[in-house]
Amino acid sequence: MKISGLLVLFGVFLMIGEPTANAATLTGKVAFDGQPPATQKLKMDADANCKLMHPEGVEDDSVLVNANGTLKNVFVYVKEGLKGKKFDAPKDAVKFDQKGCQYSPKVFGIMTGQPLEIINSDNTLHNVHSLSNSSPQFNLGMPIQGMKLKKTFAKPEVMVKIKCDVHPWMAAYAGVLDHPFYAVTGDDGSFEIKNLPPGEYVVEAWHEKFGVQSQNVTIAAEGDAQDAPFQFKA
Amino acid sequence: LWLHRYATFLALSTFILIVAGGLVTSTESGLSVPDWPLSYGQFFPPMVGGVRFEHTHRLIAATVGILTVILSVLLFRMDSRPWLRNLGLLAVLAVTFQAILGGITVLYLLPTPVSVMHACLAQTFFCLIAAIAFFVSPEWKNPVSVTDGERGSIRRLLVLTTSLAYVQLVIGAITRHSGGKGVSFHIIVGFLILLHTLFVVFKISSRDSAGGLVRFSSHAVLLGVLVLIQVFLGFGAFITTLMMPKAEAPRTAEILLTAAHQSMGALILAGYFLLTLRVYRVTKDPS
Repeated sequence: MKISGLLVLFGVFLMIGEPTANAATLTGKVAFDGQPPATQKLKMDADANCKLMHPEGVEDDSVLVNANGTLKNVFVYVKEGLKGKKFDAPKDAVKFDQKGCQYSPKVFGIMTGQPLEIINSDNTLHNVHSLSNSSPQFNLGMPIQGMKLKKTFAKPEVMVKIKCDVHPWMAAYAGVLDHPFYAVTGDDGSFEIKNLPPGEYVVEAWHEKFGVQSQNVTIAAEGDAQDAPFQFKA
Repeated sequence: LWLHRYATFLALSTFILIVAGGLVTSTESGLSVPDWPLSYGQFFPPMVGGVRFEHTHRLIAATVGILTVILSVLLFRMDSRPWLRNLGLLAVLAVTFQAILGGITVLYLLPTPVSVMHACLAQTFFCLIAAIAFFVSPEWKNPVSVTDGERGSIRRLLVLTTSLAYVQLVIGAITRHSGGKGVSFHIIVGFLILLHTLFVVFKISSRDSAGGLVRFSSHAVLLGVLVLIQVFLGFGAFITTLMMPKAEAPRTAEILLTAAHQSMGALILAGYFLLTLRVYRVTKDPS
């Protein structure tokens, strides 16, 4: 009994321990070099409801340089090296909100088959129009505040532009992948991709205005921690 | 005369519809209303942002559709010419088909071939209504007799120029709805139309070559002015859409230039079509 109990405990330990044992973490920062382009003020006069929320308009958020000289809203993902491996899509939806006549988040990652929950938090109507090339495009009307809709992307594609044709300043980008190894830089320009199995990869960083950069990354052993810095120039 | 005025009013309404449609494309508002025939499930959605352009276009289109049906009924009641009655029916069919094409562009997210067809049929319909207005005009009913001059060669020149203007419409629509494809052909054909227009103005304005057709010289000169303006609008549209970096939202200059270029194209095509009809309608003065 004692031996079998120990075996069960060992088995449980293995089951819990397996992901962390295989897990390597890829981290890095996306630096920005040069003079960022002058930001333009986006006027929201086309819709009185939007203007009410932003009487002075909003800054164009296509290039956001953080205080520490890094770049926000860069989509970093494993581009090559995972061929033949399959990953289940999470059941949890990625939330995508229309709030203040702007998209939140502006750049995000999602897996194929993972639900995208689109929310209209605004007291005005929006249409959500995906300009995907691989998956079927959609164009959904969301005229009611609080309205929620769910959509999925069928095939990987980096990046899928999503726009609102009612409010032409509204644009967002979705990185659609068939694996979970992606991240988006935030206010400190850093990213972290967890649970990456050992292997040789091509990692790519995408930015709306500055295009893409890629580098080779080797995860030698389980539990490895690898740094993969990127730098975009104006 | 009353019927002529009504048909002219419909032609003017159709031109306003073409301008409104051009503004929808130029402001990239074509998909701001995702459903059809209703707009966000309503007859009158909130007129905000791109919806203002798209829904206004739909409202004007519905009005033109109703006016076209009325024109067809009027032709059946007030005109005995079977071919003209059939043209009235053709106009109803055309405007119905145009509405369906408009619906397809919305529901299938602006497929380029359908958008191009929608653009071409719009101006074809405009020409058709303008022609019907001419067929019920006093000028048609009482054709003038003119001395011959070079009537044959002027007719051929006008048919050729009108055909070129139509080809230009198709190429222009492809360029507009495919992000600039075929723009080189568009410029070449534009240059050919400019050359032909110079010939047309020269030939019709000269009594030696035009004979009695010189009475149409003001029509030809007006077309010449429109074509010249069109060349400048075309350059403006080219610079703002294909040379300047694309902005987050279409710029005002880009919107105005492209919509004006498209609308001016419609005026020129219909203008040439009408001038051709007028020249073909005159009879030869026996003296």
